[in-house]
This record gives sequence, structure tokens and C-alpha cells, in this order.
Amino acid sequence: MEGADRARPEALTRRRFLTSVGASGAAVAVGTGGFIAGRMSRPSEVQQVAGERESVAFYGTHQAGIATPAQDRVAFAAFDVTTADAGQLKALLGTWSAAASRMTLGLPIGSAGAAAQAPPIDTGEALDLSPARLTITVGFGSSLFDERFGLAKKRPAALVDLPVFTGDTLDPGKSNGDLCVQACSDDPQVAFHVLRNFARLARGVAVMRWSQLGFGRTSSTSVRQQTPRNLMGFKDGTNNVKAENSSELADFVWVGDETDQAWMRGGSYCVTRRIRMTIETWDNDFLGDQEAVIGRTKSSGAPLTGKEEFDEPDLAAKNMRGELVIPADSHIRLAAPATNDGQKLLRRGYSYTDGIDQRSGLLDAGLFFIAYQKDPRRQFVPIQRRLAAGDALNEYIRHTGSGVFAIPPGLGAPGDWYGKRLFG
Amino acid sequence: MHAHLSAARAAQSCSRGVRASLFRSAGILGCVAVFTAAACSSATKKASTTAPASGGAEVHVVNVTMTGDECVADRAEYAAGALTFIIENKDATGIKEVEILQGERILGEKENLPPGFKSTLSLDLSAGDYALFCPGAINSRVPFTVTGTRAVQASGSTHDLLIKATEDYKSYVVEQVGLLVKYTAPLLAALKGNEVATAQAAYIAARPYYERIEPVAEKFSDLDASIDARPETGQTIDQITGFHRVEYGLFTLKSLSGLAPVGDRLLSDVKALQARTSDLTYQPADLANGATALLEEVSSGKLTGEEEAYSHIDLLDMQANVEGSQQLFALLEAGLTKIDPDTATTIAARFTALDKVVDGFRDTNDPSGLRRYDTLSAEETKNLQEAVLAVHDPLSRVAAKVVNA
Repeated sequence: MEGADRARPEALTRRRFLTSVGASGAAVAVGTGGFIAGRMSRPSEVQQVAGERESVAFYGTHQAGIATPAQDRVAFAAFDVTTADAGQLKALLGTWSAAASRMTLGLPIGSAGAAAQAPPIDTGEALDLSPARLTITVGFGSSLFDERFGLAKKRPAALVDLPVFTGDTLDPGKSNGDLCVQACSDDPQVAFHVLRNFARLARGVAVMRWSQLGFGRTSSTSVRQQTPRNLMGFKDGTNNVKAENSSELADFVWVGDETDQAWMRGGSYCVTRRIRMTIETWDNDFLGDQEAVIGRTKSSGAPLTGKEEFDEPDLAAKNMRGELVIPADSHIRLAAPATNDGQKLLRRGYSYTDGIDQRSGLLDAGLFFIAYQKDPRRQFVPIQRRLAAGDALNEYIRHTGSGVFAIPPGLGAPGDWYGKRLFG
Repeated sequence: MHAHLSAARAAQSCSRGVRASLFRSAGILGCVAVFTAAACSSATKKASTTAPASGGAEVHVVNVTMTGDECVADRAEYAAGALTFIIENKDATGIKEVEILQGERILGEKENLPPGFKSTLSLDLSAGDYALFCPGAINSRVPFTVTGTRAVQASGSTHDLLIKATEDYKSYVVEQVGLLVKYTAPLLAALKGNEVATAQAAYIAARPYYERIEPVAEKFSDLDASIDARPETGQTIDQITGFHRVEYGLFTLKSLSGLAPVGDRLLSDVKALQARTSDLTYQPADLANGATALLEEVSSGKLTGEEEAYSHIDLLDMQANVEGSQQLFALLEAGLTKIDPDTATTIAARFTALDKVVDGFRDTNDPSGLRRYDTLSAEETKNLQEAVLAVHDPLSRVAAKVVNA
């Protein structure tokens, strides 16, 4: 093997690597939650160093991809662990950690100068692309905490299995899993590259159970972002937890000292729901009904009791006929913190389509709902129970997939890995 | 392990008797080196280093540390004999490997050691100049010297083992193609007879011998086309010859009509294949690539149900592909174990796991000994595909390890 020659391209990569590290290192101090500010607001020196390689810091107190301003695309997957050997699982989590730290900098996961006789270490489709604010967020499903790896006593009480909600039509093949990976980027190829390489690195140790690609973020998680629209054509996530609001993050998103499992401090809980919309039916519903179902005006996003998007909904307001302006079964009323003991979720969902449902000829499209929270028992579960029981929107949606994952805190530095404290 | 497995298999099926002896010849050499991977505690203990000394049974320790930029060994000179390399990746994030080289020859290798983990590699080294190769480090080559009297090695050199493997493979191919000819003759006789069931059984009996050495046969594209083609889009069944024309007649039409001339041609084609493969020779990397190619056949031809679309005996073909691949690995295993014992152990274990999955599909009521492919559920197919990919992945990295060994 031509050792000396093989080292050359890697040496170039190495220098590029160091440059990028410097860039994100500088940016940690500037951005909030490890986020490098977008091109417009980024300090010029960072811009010069990083060029167009927009990267979000990988190492930090919390994993990126939660309070990071939502990127345009998601590639999400759940994996099942197939090995019975805890050592192999730990090595996989170590390998994923190392690979993630490089991909978020826009680097291939291994030496670029592979031997001609061996398959390349990195699959290559993200070479030359900017990471486009790639974040990789890894978590653990409740099924990992069984007897296989001796983790039963490490299962956090908050990592509940979700109850069956009214109207659920869940496909087990699109639900749950031992591990989850959320890759978000403004470039769909960069996001997919993560899942493909993670699956490859996991061969013989874990297999992909399901995956979901999402286009079009349906939530804004920063005050700097415009509120996007979901496939129903309505603005979504107006009243979301925002990255800039550190007290809301502490109250509703990050696990603190209240946890029964010290390894989860600084982490969060992720709930995913694949929510198919009966799009064709919705599209034939008249505008007034659509707005009554949601509780907002379709064009502006303002609550039916207001004029501007960010006007506070007046849930008590009645019209001349004495009826509630925001109807009793409207979506925003039932989802509002005021209806739910003040509880909120950090929503980070994406629109999806998986093409045509061959049996019906209808579009299989909707919302891949992702929400982060401090404790699903006090947040997602009661909120969803309320929605499942009474939301007018239920006529137009079907929950077809579901997952709950414990998201451990961020990695401190190279040599740290996902779950090191859990297994430690 | 393989010898044991294949012996058990041989008892199950007379068609597999040949394999047992070959596995045994490959299995006589034991492991020399052993890998263990473990997560490091934050306070890493440095193993003590024994001073260079001549001879003796003492095992000497080399501490190798990988950081973001560097690959560092604790000493530059060691005593000849058994050396244990304790390799720790502190914070080098690329998917890493460490090789121990003599010139350009890889003597030992540890691949994919993530940051925060460490592993050991044991090698028996005689006096001479060597290097640690850490791709990606600024100092990717770290030279070291071994001095003193060489400890006596228990078995042949890696190179000798691999050359022996290529010679054994040549014999294997000759035997398998010989059996292919042998079992095609009764198929032809049955096609000229008057019992469809007899011909179906003869078809099933002949198929595995082609599938076990498929990548070798495919080197002769003219013969492969006339022996093993399937109709492409737009082609009719009458435009092809060989096994699958026979398969269509026997299993779809359930008729012997028109098959005798196809059988004549098939027998002459497999005899031509025998003549052309009799003097083929192989390199170690050919063996590794052949093992991989056989698993590609499984993934792209059998698991899609395309190969035996009329008889649905895809699992039989698949088992033969896997056996051919396993045979190649078994031949390489002794040499590979000297270079990269971790990978060798992984591949062996995953072949065993794949065998278990295939064993789950056995059906003594079926003439092929396995369930017909169209009876498998989506979940069963998925499990099978996963088990195949789990072997395929590490196997695909073997050629680069043995090519210059």
C-alpha cells in the first residue's frame, strides 16, 4: 500500500479541518446555543475565515439541532440495535460521535485518500458541499433500556412510552426504535449523507428501523426567522419556544436537576409524530372553516381575535352572537399554553411527502412533527391528549408514526461520545 | 468453527461434502494476534514498558496515542518477540486506522478506533525497521526499530498463508466446476426423459455449483450469457438459453417440450467453462474481491427474487453464493487474522449469524431443502438483507489488507 502517497490528500484535509475548527470556535462566543449567526448578521471576521462553509458548533453543553434556528431540511431515522455486545454498541456511538463532529464541519468522515482496493470510508456525496448549518442530534428510545445492555436502572422516568391517543393509527414500522438520529441542514443532500453514513457505520451493530425525510421547516425556533407555513397553508409555530429565550429553554426544553438520572442533565426529550394530512379533503374545505379549525387567519397568520401574526389570541372573546371567536375546538385554543397549565413545546417539525398512496391514489403528505421538551409527562402527553380528544383538525389528520427519545446532553470535546455518561 | 459448521452442513446435504475438507485445510492455523476494544476511562493507565531485551518469553508493550494531529509511540526501539501495541485514540475524529508496516507491507492493522476508545494489537516481530502508519496524522509514519533475537514463530508467514489460500482456491474452483459438469449430465438425461418432477429435481441439484463460483464464471461473459442469462425487458423466453430457459419450462410450463436441445447446449457450455477455468490462477486480493462479489450477487439478484423467478429457489442459490463467499473467507482467514484479527473475528461471527438466519428458512419438505422465496414475508427478507450487509461491509475492506501482504 502506498503509505506516503495516501497521507498527502489527508494532510490537506487536516489543514482545512483546523481552519474550520477555528471558525466555529470563534463563533461559539458570538452565537447563542452554539449557533453561528446567519450570513447577514455574522461578524465579518468569522465570515472571512469560514467563507461559505456555514457550520454550527458540534461540541457544547447541549446537543445542537434543538435550540438551533431550524434549518430547511431534515433527515430523521430510528435504529434498532442488533448486537447483544455492549462494547460494540459503545464503539458505534463513539464512531457516530466522531463522524458527526466532522460532518458538521463539512468534512468527510474519514481519510479522503483511501486505498484503491478498499471502498472509500466516506460515501462522498457531501464532498465540496457546505455543511449548510448541519446539526446531528442523537437520542435513545425506551427500548434501549431493557436487559440487553444493563441499562434498565438508567431509564429516566420521563422517558415514557406514549399512551394510545384517541384516533391513533400508528404503523409500528414507522414508530419508536432504540436510537434516533436527527440530521438537519439547509441542504437535503448533506442531511441525507448523515443517515446513509450512520447506517453504514452501524452494519452488524444496528439497523435502520424507519426514516423520514422532511422538506420545509414548519416551525421557527428563532426570533430572526420568519414563521413558515405547513402544508395546510397556515403559519405554524408562531408561539414556539425560541432559541433567544433562555428562560423558556430552561423551563420547557432542557433537563435540569429535577431529573432522576444525572446523565440526562443538559439533555432533552424528543417526541416525533408522523402526521399525515388528508390533503385532498382539506383543500376542498371552505376558507372560513379552515380558519375556524385552526383559529387563525390563513393569509396573515393572525389569531381570529387579532390583526397581526404575533397578537396574543384572546381565547375569551365572543362575537355578536355570543359565540367564541376562536372556537372551542380550534387547534390553537387546545394547543395554547393557557389551556395546558402554561406548558409549551419547542416544535421543530417539517413537511413531508412520500409520494402517492398506491391504494387510494391520494397524496401521502403531511407534517413530520418533532418536539423537544423537558418532560413529556407534563408536556407532550397532556397536550396531545387534549388535542386528540377535541381538536377540529383531527378530521383532516392521521397520526401514522410515533417516537419518544431521551436526548443526552451535548458532547464536551473530542473523546466524548453520545451516551458516555449513560454507559460510564 | 468453520470446519465444524461445514461438517455439520455436509451431513445435511451430500452436495456440500467437498466443502468440509477445504475448510479443514484452511482452519488448521490458529490465531496469533488478539484484539480487544474497550472504552477508556478518563484517567488512562499507561501500561508499563519493558526495556529492550533479547529473546525471552516476555511480552513487550508499545503505547500508541492518537490525537487530533499526531500519532505518538512511547519508544522508538523495542525488543524482538511478542509485542503488544496498546493503541489509544484520545481525540482524533476521523474514522481511524493504525497499521504496522514493514516497508509497504502491512503486518498488522487496527481499523475504526473512535476517539475515547482504546484497543490492543499483538504481533510477533523480529529484528528490523518498522513503521506505525496513522493516516491523517501530521506525522503519518512513525518509524521504530526492533532489535535482538527473533522469537520463533508458531506458524508460517502471512504471505505464505495467503499464497496457500490462492492455491487452495484454485482447487476449489476446479472441484466445483467439475461437479457442475457432473450434475448437469443427469439434468440433460432428465430433459430427454419424460418426467418433469425428475428434471426439476435435477435442475435443483445442479444450480448450487454454478452459484458457488459465480464471479469466476462471470469472467467468461460469453459463457455466462448462454448458461445463466434471464430475459431482459423486451426479450422473450425463447431468446435465451441455459439454466433459466430450462427453469421456465420445468416450473412455469411444467413441460419438457423443447428443452432437450437447450440441455445439450447447457452441457457443452459447462464443459467449455471447465476447460477455461482449469488453469486460472488467483491473487489474494482476487479472493477477497470474489468473496465480496458473491455477496453482491445475493443482494442484487437473489434478495430481489429475480434470479429464480419461475422456480423461486432463490434461497438455494443464495445459500450457494454465501457458501462460496464463506469458503473464500475461510481460505483468507488465517492470513487476515495475522494482519487484522479484529476484522477477521467480526467477519467470522457475522457469517455465523447469517448462517443462523438461513437455517431458519430450511424446509425438509421442499426438494431444495429451503423455503421457496415467494413465501418469505417482508420482515424475513429484511432480516436476511441485514445479515448479508453485516458481513458484506467488513468483507469489502479485506482486499486492501491482503493485497500487499
